[in-house]
Amino acid sequence: MLGDLLNPYYLQIISFIMINIILGISIYVTLSSGQLSLGNAGFMGIGAYTSALLTINFDVPIVIGVLLGALVAGVLGILIGIPALRLHGVYLAIATLGFGEVIRVIFVNWESVTQGAIGLPGIPHLGRELFKIVSDMGFDPDMLGLRNNQVVYLLVVLTLLLINIFIVWFFSRQNKSRVGRAFAAIKMDEKAAESMGINITYYKVLSFTQGAVLAGFAGALYAHVMAYISPADFAYHRAIEILIFSVFGGSEVIWGAIFGATFMTLLPEALRFISEYRYMIYGIILILMMAFRPQGIIDVSVIQWIKKTMKFKRGTDHGTGNKKGH
Amino acid sequence: MVLEIKKVTKNFGGISALTDVSFKINEGEIFGLIGPNGAGKTTMFNIITNMFPPTSGEISFQEDKISGSKPHKITDKGICRTFQNIRLFSQMTVLENVLVGGHCRSKSGVFSSVFRTKSQRKEEHTLHETATDLLALVGLSGYENVIAENLAYGQQRRLEIARALASHPKLLLLDEPAAGMNETETENLFDLIKKVQKRGITVLLIEHDMPFVMKLCDRITVLNFGKKLAEGTPAEIQNNQDVIEAYLGSEEDDQIA
Repeated sequence: MLGDLLNPYYLQIISFIMINIILGISIYVTLSSGQLSLGNAGFMGIGAYTSALLTINFDVPIVIGVLLGALVAGVLGILIGIPALRLHGVYLAIATLGFGEVIRVIFVNWESVTQGAIGLPGIPHLGRELFKIVSDMGFDPDMLGLRNNQVVYLLVVLTLLLINIFIVWFFSRQNKSRVGRAFAAIKMDEKAAESMGINITYYKVLSFTQGAVLAGFAGALYAHVMAYISPADFAYHRAIEILIFSVFGGSEVIWGAIFGATFMTLLPEALRFISEYRYMIYGIILILMMAFRPQGIIDVSVIQWIKKTMKFKRGTDHGTGNKKGH
Repeated sequence: MVLEIKKVTKNFGGISALTDVSFKINEGEIFGLIGPNGAGKTTMFNIITNMFPPTSGEISFQEDKISGSKPHKITDKGICRTFQNIRLFSQMTVLENVLVGGHCRSKSGVFSSVFRTKSQRKEEHTLHETATDLLALVGLSGYENVIAENLAYGQQRRLEIARALASHPKLLLLDEPAAGMNETETENLFDLIKKVQKRGITVLLIEHDMPFVMKLCDRITVLNFGKKLAEGTPAEIQNNQDVIEAYLGSEEDDQIA
């Protein structure tokens, strides 16, 4: 029964959704201090190549590889962020887009290490490594009536789910704190924020770096989920795709990035039956969206509405609906 | 002496906005900076808070040279300001605006915020208490969860004052706090600034409402075309011939017309 539901294809799509959610949040975090960065595909590539090369060439465990991938992306984020954040708006967007391209071109041309445009095959697969561990602990897929490869993909999904929960929790809490308020203040009025004693350079670099760390982290996970990466995976179309996750879903709230990443990953899959037209439909949806709901699907008022509805429902269950509804 | 302005000059290209302006503000005073439009009053505020540096001259705060420090450092040292054209964080709630004002008096970083350490919770509690107290002071109790941009104009001005006070300044700079206010609102503002003074905060304000300035200020400096024209108590300023000619005179003409 369970075995029929867990189709590896679906599981694979769910893992892509989760990786894309991390990417969506990576741009949301940077946007939450008002900085539009299009360099996240570059940071994603840094994370992916760092972890892939370490695990392939030095037998580093995946966990360490992924963490180092995120760390290297973060350090680079600081180095790029300090000079780049003197720029504003579209200028910053173009500069960071340029950074992403530089990174991609390095991957293409540094053939002795990255194998150039051919890409890196044979990256240790997250699911299979985890499967080895649980098998060693005496777990047998037959106990649940599952096939081995179902368990492999299921382990990936579960791991990514835990990571996603942690990231959402982390940034929701950060949002409601002094740091989150500083980000929001800078986004709304940089001069006023500065006058209120906020060190705007520090907080801008912080949010930019957090975005870089998340993108690097997502990239490293991507490498170990795909088991193969090439420079084309981190080209500028990826940067735009990541931006769309957040802008389509709504860039004011973290749930916007989550919704956007989920929807935008599912849409092309759901439209597979009209394969030739699916990107056309994708494009039309984006145009309609920007025309009728430029703030994205999910904004603060939607969140408030959802909260209110849930509160009301809970209230009626306990027979106090009238009181709570008002 | 809280603030000392020493021979400050500011040129924008070929135009000189301020020329050799000097004055001193004593502790606990309400000090008025007046002058016709374009006299350089707001430029002086921007130089004090170092939004841009002076071309020459020096500013000392509590005997400590501050020209050249970054704006957020200056706030940290104890100077906070409001803006002529209100600059609230308009999508935030009233409470959040005041909490941001307390930024430089708190220090939680990313990790203590995310893991809500004991010191972070204590700090948030203190920030909330201060904010509640200040909102009561400016008469905005009960508006905590209203989005700032939905407030009435006069309330927005008072919220800006609360936000500035949350940084626990020793010197508060108010840029035309009474602008656009009706008579009742101006009276409330008068009481508010007096209360701020009683809390031991020195106030430097720019204002065009002459009766208001004359009633409120202990001392006044008059700027005209970027130069200091006169300085003294309200009574001295009112009787100063230069001032009457340059400024008050024209104001009276307006009133007659």
